[in-house]
Amino acid sequence: MTANQQKNPKEKAKPFLFSEFCKGCGRCIEACPKNCIVIGQDINTFTGLIPIKISLENCIGCSLCVNACPEPYALAMSTEEMREREEREQSKNKGAGATFSDPSEMFGLDKSPLPKAKKAIDEEMNLPISGPQILKGNYASAIGAILSGCRHFYGYPITPSTEGAELMAKLMPQLDGIFFQAVSEVATVNIMYGTGGAGLPSMTFTSSPGFSLMVEGISYMIGSEIPGVFINIMRGGPGLGNIAPEQSDIKLVCNGLGHGNTHAVVLAPSTPQEMLDLTMKAFELSFKYRNPVIVVADGYLGQMTGKVILPKKLKKPAIPEWAVYGDKEHRANLMCSIYLTEKDLEDHNHYLDRKYDEIKKNEQMADLYKCDDAEVIIVACNTPAQMAKGSVADLRSKGVKAGLFRPMTLWPFPIDKFKTVLPRARHIVVVEANSSGQLEDELRLNLNRSQVTVHPPIHNVRRCGGILPSQQEITEKILSLKLKEV
Amino acid sequence: MSNVNNSNNPNPTRAFYNKFFRHAQGAGVKGYSNHYCPGCGHGVAQKYLAESISELGIQDKTITVSPVGCSVFMYYYMDTGNTQAAHGRASVTALGHKFANPGSVVISYQGDGDLASIGLAEIVSTAQLGIPITVIFINNAIYGMTGGQMAPTTLMGQRTSTSPNGRQPIMGAPFKIAELISNLDGPVYVERVALFNAKERTKAKKAIKKGLKLQMENKGFSFIEVLAECPTHLKISALESEKWVQEKMLPMFPLGVKKDLFAEGAEAGAGAGTGATHTNNFNLTAPTFDAKKVFDIVTGGNDETVPRYAKGVFPKHLDPKDVSMKLAGSGGDGAQTAAMLIAQSAINEGHDATHIPSYGPESRGGTSYADIHVAAEEVLSPASPTPQILIAFNGPSLMKFGPTVANGGIIIYDSSVVTNAPSFKQAKVYGVPFAEIAVKLGNAMVKNIVALGALQAASKLYPEETFLTAVKTALKSKPKFIEVNEKAFREGMKAIH
Repeated sequence: MTANQQKNPKEKAKPFLFSEFCKGCGRCIEACPKNCIVIGQDINTFTGLIPIKISLENCIGCSLCVNACPEPYALAMSTEEMREREEREQSKNKGAGATFSDPSEMFGLDKSPLPKAKKAIDEEMNLPISGPQILKGNYASAIGAILSGCRHFYGYPITPSTEGAELMAKLMPQLDGIFFQAVSEVATVNIMYGTGGAGLPSMTFTSSPGFSLMVEGISYMIGSEIPGVFINIMRGGPGLGNIAPEQSDIKLVCNGLGHGNTHAVVLAPSTPQEMLDLTMKAFELSFKYRNPVIVVADGYLGQMTGKVILPKKLKKPAIPEWAVYGDKEHRANLMCSIYLTEKDLEDHNHYLDRKYDEIKKNEQMADLYKCDDAEVIIVACNTPAQMAKGSVADLRSKGVKAGLFRPMTLWPFPIDKFKTVLPRARHIVVVEANSSGQLEDELRLNLNRSQVTVHPPIHNVRRCGGILPSQQEITEKILSLKLKEV
Repeated sequence: MSNVNNSNNPNPTRAFYNKFFRHAQGAGVKGYSNHYCPGCGHGVAQKYLAESISELGIQDKTITVSPVGCSVFMYYYMDTGNTQAAHGRASVTALGHKFANPGSVVISYQGDGDLASIGLAEIVSTAQLGIPITVIFINNAIYGMTGGQMAPTTLMGQRTSTSPNGRQPIMGAPFKIAELISNLDGPVYVERVALFNAKERTKAKKAIKKGLKLQMENKGFSFIEVLAECPTHLKISALESEKWVQEKMLPMFPLGVKKDLFAEGAEAGAGAGTGATHTNNFNLTAPTFDAKKVFDIVTGGNDETVPRYAKGVFPKHLDPKDVSMKLAGSGGDGAQTAAMLIAQSAINEGHDATHIPSYGPESRGGTSYADIHVAAEEVLSPASPTPQILIAFNGPSLMKFGPTVANGGIIIYDSSVVTNAPSFKQAKVYGVPFAEIAVKLGNAMVKNIVALGALQAASKLYPEETFLTAVKTALKSKPKFIEVNEKAFREGMKAIH
């Protein structure tokens, strides 16, 4: 222990006990080769514990007792001058209302304040002008992530999301970014927790069973306020289900992101173009609110190729001031979801609630297609929304005033916009690819929470198991509603 | 506490906070003492860690990851970047930090319940990866924080609250983690140390410091198992618990270096587990954000604008707004590639297009279908349940989808494999020997391009130049195949009369 060696040869450093911080375990007793230390007799008034007792008579200043002590500040090596100073301090502090001395003097601590990081601003750079690209939905999403500045991709292969990971495996090395195939989805989300905690954008592609495994980590990310983007290409369930498209996770992503008071923005693209646009939006929102963001698509959309126009700019993200990046500027930061005292945790949840309210106020997104005069409002998202769009055209050609209300954020549900179509609506038809009506439940919950108690009847067209509701099924269902009788 | 050490101070500097404001708001003695029970080995190990960080001058770039268990509150004490991780996941969270900033020094400090039980998959895979992080594994043979339950490292016969009659064979034998990790290819340094006497404590400090140093030097993954005392749950005194570790734990968990590729005098690679070893393999350059470079990488350099041979005129003779098609065959027929070329052609003409593939569950040779839409403005429903054009590469595909073709539609099938095609009254049917023509051209692979040529001639969806341009663009990186594909396309066209 070179640092322990005496600098002043005239004076031998000896141990000094800050008895308030000694729990009396006695590990120093065994360590001392000269038997200078014994179990104490006197109860310390601050702690109610019985500290050890040191006699310096035979002490050779070996410091083995200090090395054996499990406490950070209970035992220190001291010069005679330091000891005298400390003893004077301690004698001053005797009696009622006494305090104990700060060990920082004896330990020679640097008292400069902890570093504080500055707010940093992302850079934006112009991309070359280009014509439309033709891209698979999964690819479009991966490219959107890259243009948002994501250079850290973690994932575990699962159909039908794998093309996204495969493209990242190809592109990330060319970008000097990281592609890492983790041991599981559980590991994936926790690697994202680390990288997101370091303040950098990271993402994964997964599909329903894989997403289920990630929700524990997502709860931690929400609790610790760590950003990260999850692309969930939903497939048929429950259990292994199959690899065909479903919208089986709407309930999970809107109301079941792991334990505790958890919510995340859920974006629902319906074309390859939106796979790119909404992935970019996901990164923006994830950092704006320091929260994970989920993009849900069905297997059809992940596999679907279409026309995609690239944005004009790409982003180079800065290290945010809150990050645990591993440098001096950010040294004081902490990523943590523990709030041990009840009141602190209640406050933290109220803080999260305020954040959720802010998101609900600012981020509701919906696309309204021919809703202006619509008497039949179809509610659908992802590929079923495209089927419904086809059906709106069918119905209009048959004289039915149909329109499509397409939520682009499923959480928060765009209820404010939905309320604008209600006055003319005589029927609501929710079209979705799951058997339990998960999108319909979101609609009903949000109507209820918005105090909308009177609304037109809500009908449904649902297919599942990998079968999407077809344009024809939607049209037939709506034509069967005996529209004139309403 | 940083690296300041005034000349008259005999104490080593340590990367602990001056005051523990996160420990019960720093109130009273808690502001200066840890939350551990009297005599706990954690406090000793953390002191050595904090000293090592200061001595190596890495405090500013260090990130300490503390998971769940008694190690959970490391962030109260360590004056470094701090991340608190989920139970068992500290090693992969550490990995996430290291990936984000390869220049940082990342420490995953985990207990036995965390690392050796719920986090086994994470620690084994991270160790095998060999990325330079340092894992400190505190093995005290028991669950501390949850109140003295059986750990994976609990000794045979040892009584805990979940092994009230002592650990029985049915509960398995204690996990020798250092040995397990040392048998992996990834780590460069694995040692088991203890804290029960001054000599072992000196070795423990040295090992911890060495693990950090190897990370600083980018040498690789290091793993230090520390046999620690838990007097509270062993229900004995601190001094007795030191003896317990020495007498009971040592026979099961022998101390010493288990693997060290950088030991003094060791040849490179010596002491490795099995197979190849990773050393010094983590040298990341900063990611690229150069706009032109990123653009070229994500688009494959596809910034060409191609002429609109159809001058933007939509093939209204097929449908006023939206033409739906289906290509159906087996995997390897090239249906998906042909579908992509049709979509590309439409987009090059300024129209919208979508293509949805669907496959059977087989990786090779199963069914392979493609639904395509070409729309003047926007594809609404991308599925093709009643296509206006069907290309069938085999008999079953023709039988399955032929009847679904819309009235006035077009069916083209491979007459070299479908010999007695049924008649479909609602559509115009063309038999074209895709495969035969392709084989004659010397490349069976181009039968899908033959089909594409036939499609052009039969439907006049777009001018032939539109398709040929799409084909050439797709083959930009394989120019030697352009000629045979062009021939195939023209032969396909010729086959339609």
